[in-house]
This record gives sequence, structure tokens and C-alpha cells, in this order.
Amino acid sequence: MAATAALSTRLRNRRPALNAFRKAVTRKPGRLIGLGIILFFVLLAICGPWFYGSLAVDPNAIYAAPSADHWLGTDFAGSDVFQEVVVGARYVLSTAALAALFTSVLGITVGLLAGYHRGFLDSALMRVTDFVLTIPGLPLLIILSTVWSFGSPWQMGLVLGLTGWGGVARAVRSQALTLRERGFLEAARGLGLPSRHIIVKELLPNIAPYVAMHLLLSVIAFIGAEVGLFFLGLVPFSSTNWGVMLNQAVFSGGAMNSPDALVYLLSPLVCILLLTLGIVLFLDAIDELFNPRLRERA
Amino acid sequence: MIEARGITRTYASHGAFTGARTVQALRGVDFTLPAGGAVSFIGESGCGKTTLGKILTGLETFDGGELVVDGVELSRLKPRRRAEYFRRIQMIHQDPYSALNPTRPIEATLGAPLRMRARQTGADPAKWRERASELLTLVGLEPEAVLPKYPHQLSGGQRQRVVIARALTVDPQVLIADEAVSMIDVSMRLGILGLLRDLRSRLGISLVFITHDVATARYVGEGGELHVIYRGEVVERGLTDDVILTPVHPYTQCLLSAVPIMRGLEEPGPDRTAPTRALDERSPTPGCLFEPRCPFATEECFTTHPTLVPLDAGPASAARTGEAGAGTDTAANTDAETDTGAGTAEHQHACLHPQARRVVGVEIEVGAAST
Amino acid sequence: MTEVQVRDLTIEYQTSAGWLPAVAGASLDLRAGEITGLVGESGSGKSTLALALLNAVPEPGRVAAGSVEVAGVGDVLSLSGKQLRKVRGGELGYVFQASQNSMNPLKTIGKQLLDLGRSHEVKDLRALIARAKDLANRMGMDGDRVLDSYQHQLSGGMRQRIGIVFALVLNAKVLILDEPTTALDMLSQAAVLDIVRTVHDENQLSTLIITHDIGAISEIADRLAVMYGGRIVEDGPLLDVLRRPTHPYTRALIGATARITGDVDAARALPGRPPDLTTVARVGCVFRDRCPFAVTACADTEPPLVVGEAGRRRACHVEPSTVLSGTPGTPAAVGGQP
Repeated sequence: MAATAALSTRLRNRRPALNAFRKAVTRKPGRLIGLGIILFFVLLAICGPWFYGSLAVDPNAIYAAPSADHWLGTDFAGSDVFQEVVVGARYVLSTAALAALFTSVLGITVGLLAGYHRGFLDSALMRVTDFVLTIPGLPLLIILSTVWSFGSPWQMGLVLGLTGWGGVARAVRSQALTLRERGFLEAARGLGLPSRHIIVKELLPNIAPYVAMHLLLSVIAFIGAEVGLFFLGLVPFSSTNWGVMLNQAVFSGGAMNSPDALVYLLSPLVCILLLTLGIVLFLDAIDELFNPRLRERA
Repeated sequence: MIEARGITRTYASHGAFTGARTVQALRGVDFTLPAGGAVSFIGESGCGKTTLGKILTGLETFDGGELVVDGVELSRLKPRRRAEYFRRIQMIHQDPYSALNPTRPIEATLGAPLRMRARQTGADPAKWRERASELLTLVGLEPEAVLPKYPHQLSGGQRQRVVIARALTVDPQVLIADEAVSMIDVSMRLGILGLLRDLRSRLGISLVFITHDVATARYVGEGGELHVIYRGEVVERGLTDDVILTPVHPYTQCLLSAVPIMRGLEEPGPDRTAPTRALDERSPTPGCLFEPRCPFATEECFTTHPTLVPLDAGPASAARTGEAGAGTDTAANTDAETDTGAGTAEHQHACLHPQARRVVGVEIEVGAAST
Repeated sequence: MTEVQVRDLTIEYQTSAGWLPAVAGASLDLRAGEITGLVGESGSGKSTLALALLNAVPEPGRVAAGSVEVAGVGDVLSLSGKQLRKVRGGELGYVFQASQNSMNPLKTIGKQLLDLGRSHEVKDLRALIARAKDLANRMGMDGDRVLDSYQHQLSGGMRQRIGIVFALVLNAKVLILDEPTTALDMLSQAAVLDIVRTVHDENQLSTLIITHDIGAISEIADRLAVMYGGRIVEDGPLLDVLRRPTHPYTRALIGATARITGDVDAARALPGRPPDLTTVARVGCVFRDRCPFAVTACADTEPPLVVGEAGRRRACHVEPSTVLSGTPGTPAAVGGQP
């Protein structure tokens, strides 16, 4: 008994970050559900395509109702909808994740450098940011789709990310500007600590919750954007994904006026909604994850 | 150690519509801080005290005058070379609540500068933990209890001690304490002041003590000099006890009168006085800066700007303006340079009509009072 | 006449360790025409006690026992809703701890005053403004200018004074100030204290000033109450308490104050740190860990607050004379005693 207690304290001391994470997430059931949903979809995106390497097409069963063979029925070509949902998750999620990664890396770097150094660097970086903010993302994607097929999530993620980091940079910069005058940052400068240390170790952790929240919310926005593009048919259908499914359900299957394709329409929609719900539920835990003071109230 | 000559700092605030306006935060401050010595600056908020502290630690630039640290004039150095000199001067911030990074435990807050310093001096960076414990013990904290904690888990007084320990990580020779106790419970203040005093005597660290509370300046140690600063200008200076007991500048007298009387233990000084009105930076002051608020102002005060002169020079020989004043100033400085800080600082003032007044409270014999 | 009677007030906060008392069995009288200073370190429960006078203890706190009788109103703790709002700001004027920052930055002071008047259903708003101007003028400010200003145009000392104007404009009989001088420099502090005294005298108020600075309060208060660990440990007429502190904590607090006169070396910082909700002793005297006079009884019996001579009360097991003289091995007496 005593030994296990000692062991668990030792483990806790060794992994304070992990322990804080566990505490923050298990505090409220909503957060746990949120994390569960997110993990479920991530697993789906990673493992899904392993199970269904090639989609089973059954030409004899078009728009079949859900059954034991086809859990969510089939589509216009007789493909299994469940398999399509599972396989499509990878493209949707990896695109959103890549886009979020690009935005945050670029946005945080630019924002921190501009906010911390001020002066000429600040002005220069902010002009670039303003320029990026004025690039209209949607028309750019439409034009780019004449060149690229967007078959790989990298291309789509890159374009979404490169056009989307302006807002993050502005927000991070303003946070950095206010924190810059705080005593602990002045002290760090006074001690002569290198700028890199100050920015990465002192400044960044203080805006981390803010950035993380922004990141998760942008994942939702990016999913909406890419699925929207495919749904509207503005980019070529080069892979199986939820957007393509929506498009085909509405424009080829007539899901709006025939009940046959309803399940086909609803499956990707419900997935998007569930994922959004998961992210929103999990957001609640972010503040506590990064703020040692809130963490403690456990 | 530190010698400041005629430090000035002017801020320009240009509104889009209101036109440019300049605020003179510092109008030629000079002082000498010998190794192990102490200089206090007192004044109300907005008098330029904080700007001075930031200039001395290199967090703020100055636009006139000279700052000499260990015999080297800093404005001639390149920023990279300057850093080494500013390393020797460390700031203790006013607000212990914002002076520590809330996301980092104390061990990280102390560890980073300690490792940096070890690399500079060629010591073993891996030994930072021992050094951190040493410093925390020095400032009166228990290392094992404090190191893993986050700032919010400490009281105001404990935090301020950590802030002091952090300043000591880079082996400074001077500490600038900007209102170091004003945000701490009164009951904890003496402990911090005693620590600063200890650091002076045990480590030979000099102290620049910036405060609005004259009483606290008495506790930072022997031989301390007191400079009374008003709107960026030193109006009176001398040994702390001299200035407190025989203040001659009306502004000093107002500041000292404002110190609350502990009734029952003290009674108010017979000449207690107060400014005639609140500070208004916009009113024109061609003569004495304090003239609009001075209870003893005369016609002459409005037109003539007084400069610092020795007290025993008497009102008649007080420098009226310009060259003569500057001459006296430099002479006073060279005097101060030569002494080693203990007990010989000359009492100087910038008032056309200096008159000593007894404004601070007078202690009552408790035995006598209770009968 | 007693304007406010606090009786056996206990206020608890919910923590991970259950409900813990921030204020335990506190009794205090505020008399008409008297300024009472309530002194204590951070975490002593003094602000909580003051908020309870308004029946405004914040979540997760609750009033567990006791009453706050205000003359002409009754027990404030039994009021709620509209009645309570009327009493707050009406009978009881409160100046908040950070009143420098408690104004709306987007509205002029005058507009905020009108808001206050409307929410209290004042019929004659003109008279309200006139009274506010009058108060402001008497506090050494230009009433017209102040009412037309935004908060950023005013200095810290002026904002504090405006806080007092707001607290008094509805003819409050009781004025409560929470740390009125903490963020101010000496000159502003002296001006604000002077104004509090003047306004108090002119309006025959019952004033309660909450502070950690026993020096500042001693300048203007008539009575002194000392709080530690949620208990009132000593109170009485200010002059008497300062001259003859009979509770070890009061004595230590006076001795730990930085003063402009007296022997610098005689002053002693208080050892240890003030307790908070979770660390305060549950059994025995709350001060015993830091007390140089502690005896065995202190460990298991909590000393009751006993009424003594000359309107004084104290909660201590040790004889007053022992505390006054200072036993061997304890800091030298305050105020120049051997």
C-alpha cells in the first residue's frame, strides 16, 4: 500500500506535464468526452485506410438501405458508405491538421518576433501580415485548382495554411506587446538572458493557452473550408473524402428530395458535427493545461 | 561604482491631432554610488523615479548626460559591450506578483540565469541547483520547499525574496530596488528591507533604493544618501538622517509631513505642511518647478530657477541660475567622488529660501504619555 | 450610538478540504461619529468581514452564522434582492479596494453618477449632481471638471476621492473603505486620509477603514480592531491600544512598522508568514506559531475575546502585563521601552 503510494508519487513527480494533462482532462466529463471523440477520429484517420485499402463496390446494390452488409448503406455507384466515411477521414483530418500546423508555426513565429522586438522588424513583419490578410483564400484556391489537383492533403493544407496565418500573427503580436512590459520579461532582459530564451521560455508559455485555443478552433474552420470547397465542386475530386461525399449526395444522389441518399448525405455531416463537438468540449481544458494556477484548484 | 552626471530623459508624446508635447522625465540627475554604498531616491508618483531605475539597468535609454559604471562611460560603448556593465546592475521590481513568470516554477526562474552566468564565468553549469539553494538560503527561504513551487504558491514577501535571489544569480554589484516593498504587507516590509541591508554589509552590494515612502529609506543601512526628486530634478540631497531631521526644501518638507503619525507613540512635528495643490504638469514653471504648489513661494521663485547648492552656503550665495549653478554642481560631484560613501555626504538643496523646519513626528516617551 | 453591530459572524469558504472559516465568530461595533480601523495582514479575513457588512460575500463563500444589524435597517444578512441593493450605496457606502480601477472607462464620472442615482430610484437627479459637486469641491477637486472627466484623466488620488464621493452621495451613514491608500504615494495618501477625516466629521458618519498599514490608520482612526487568522484578537480606543498593545500580535505588528522616528535597530519584522484559509490553526490560538509569548494552553484552547477595562477587548491566554513588558528572549518593546 505504502509502496504503491510512494511509487505513484514518484511517477507523478517525474511526469508533471502528463499528470497535469490527466488532471485537467478528467476534471469534467465533458472534456473527457471531447478528448475521446477527437482521439476516435484521429485513430480513424490513421488506421481507417488500412482496413479498407480498396473500396468494395457492389453494382447490384445502389443506394441500398443500411443493412448488416452495408452498415450505412451504399452510394450511387454501390460503394459502401461506412467504408467511404472511414477512408475519407484521413484526407479531411490531415489537411486540417497540416493547415493548422502551418498557420500556427508561421503565425506564432511572426507574431512573437514582431511583438518582442518591435521597431523596424515589427513594421516589416506586420506589412507582410497585412498583405497575407488581404489575400482572398477562396478565389486563390479556385485558381490554383486549375494547376493542382489537390489530391494530396499537403497541397490543400499548404494553401489553407499559407493564407490563414495572418490573424494568428496579429493576435500573438498584441499579446506579446502587452506581456513585454510585465516585470518578469523586463527582469529577463535585465539579467541579459538571450532573446531566444526569453521568447521561447518566458513569453511563449504565457500565450500558449491562447495559441492552442486558436489552433483547435482553426482546425474546425479548416475542416469547414475544405469540405465546403469539395461540396461546391470548386476543386477536382481526386480522392475519397467527406466533401466529395456531400457533393455527390446532393448533386448526383438528389438527397434533398429523395430519401434514398439521405444516409449518404448525413454520414459525413454527422462526422463533421461530432468532431466539432469534440473539439469544442475539449477546449474547456486548455486554460487549465497551461495555467499552473488553475491546474492547482483540482 | 556608478556615477551619473546630468542624466536627462525626455519623452515626446505626439497625438495625431493635439500636436507634439514633451514630458521631461529627468532633467539632469547626478549622483555617485560608491561600492557598498546606498542612495535613496524619494518623490511622489510621476516624478521620474522609475525612469531613473530603468535607465540604470539598461531597460531604458537616456538622451543626455553620462552614465559611468566602474569607470567606463556607457553611452560610448556598443550595445553588446554595454550588456556586461548592465549585468552588474540588477533591478528588483515593484510588483512581486508580475515580476515572476507565472508559468515557470522557481527552479526554472533561477536556473536559466544561473546556467547562463556559469557559462560566462567558466563555472560548471550543471551545479546551478546548488547555487540556487545557496541564494535562496541567503535571502531567507528554504530551498527545498521553494524550488519546485510556482509563483502563485508563494506569499508576496516570499516572492519578493525570490525576485532578489534571481537578481543575485548574475553576481551583480548594484541592486536597484524600485518601490521594492510598497506592494508587500506592512508586516513583511522590514524583513525585506533588512535583507537588502544585509546584502550590503555581507556581500558589499550597493543599493539604489527608489521609493515614495521616506520611512523605509531609513532601514536600508548606514551612510545612505537621500535624494529628493521632483519632476525629474533633484531638489535636495544629503545623508538620509540629515535630510529627514532638518529638511530645508519645502517639497521635502511636504513629503516628510505626509508620513502618517503613529498617534500615541508620536506627535506631529510643529511645522507640518502640505502642498497647496495637486501636481499639474501643464502649469508653466519658468522658475522653481515646485513654485505653483509651494506654501512658501515668493515672486522670485516664479522667475528664478534655483540649482543645487550646499546648505551652509546660505540663501544669499545660492546660485541664481545658469553657469554659476553648474559650476557648483560639478564641484560637489568631485567632492563626492573622492569620499567612500560613509557619513560625509554634503547636504545640498535647490531652494531660494531654504529654511529648516521640523515636520516629522516626534517620539513620545510612552511612560510619560500613559500617565 | 451604535450604527452597525456585527455579532458572532462566521463566514466560510468552500475549498477542496471542505468549508473553512475565513472569519470566525467576529463581533464588532461601529459607533456613530467614530472611525474604526480594522488592521490585519493579507488573508486575515478583514476584507471578507467588510464585504459581509454589505451581505456581499463572493462565491464560493457563505455566511455560516451571525448577524449584521444596521440601525434603521435591521439585519443586512437577512435582506435580498431590491431591498439589499437599496441598502448598499444607500445606508452603507463602500469604497472598494481597487476603486482606482473600478470605474467604467467609457463613461464620464457624471454619467456613472446618474446611473447610480437611477438604480437607486433617486427622484431629483439634479440635487444628486449638486451634492456630488459639493462633496468633490470640499475634497479639494473642481466638481464640474471632475464630473465631465473620464477615469483615465484623473490621478490615483483623485479616483480614490471620487470613490468616496460615490459612496457618500446617497447620504450613507456608514462609510466602509477597503485599503483606501494602498496604491497611492505618500502625498496622495495624506490627502485622502485628511479628506476621510473631514468628511467623516462633517457628516457624523460611522467609518470603517480596512488596511494592512497600522501606521497609516493610526493617523486618523478613533478605534482600532486587529484581525488575525479570521479572528478579532484585540480592539479598543486607538491611542490606548497603540500605547499599550496587550495582544502579542498587535505588539509585533506595531514593532514591525517602518517609522520615520525612533531607533531603526529596534524594529523587528514579524517572523513567519500569515496563515491562509487552509493553514490557519483549527485548534488553539491562531497566532501561537508566530507568538514569542506562547504557553502550553495556546496549543489546545482557543482564547476567547474577553472584554477588559476602558472599552478594550483581547483574545490571549498570556497576562496583559507580560505582553506589555516583554519576556526575555523576545523583541525589545516598541516605542522606546527598555
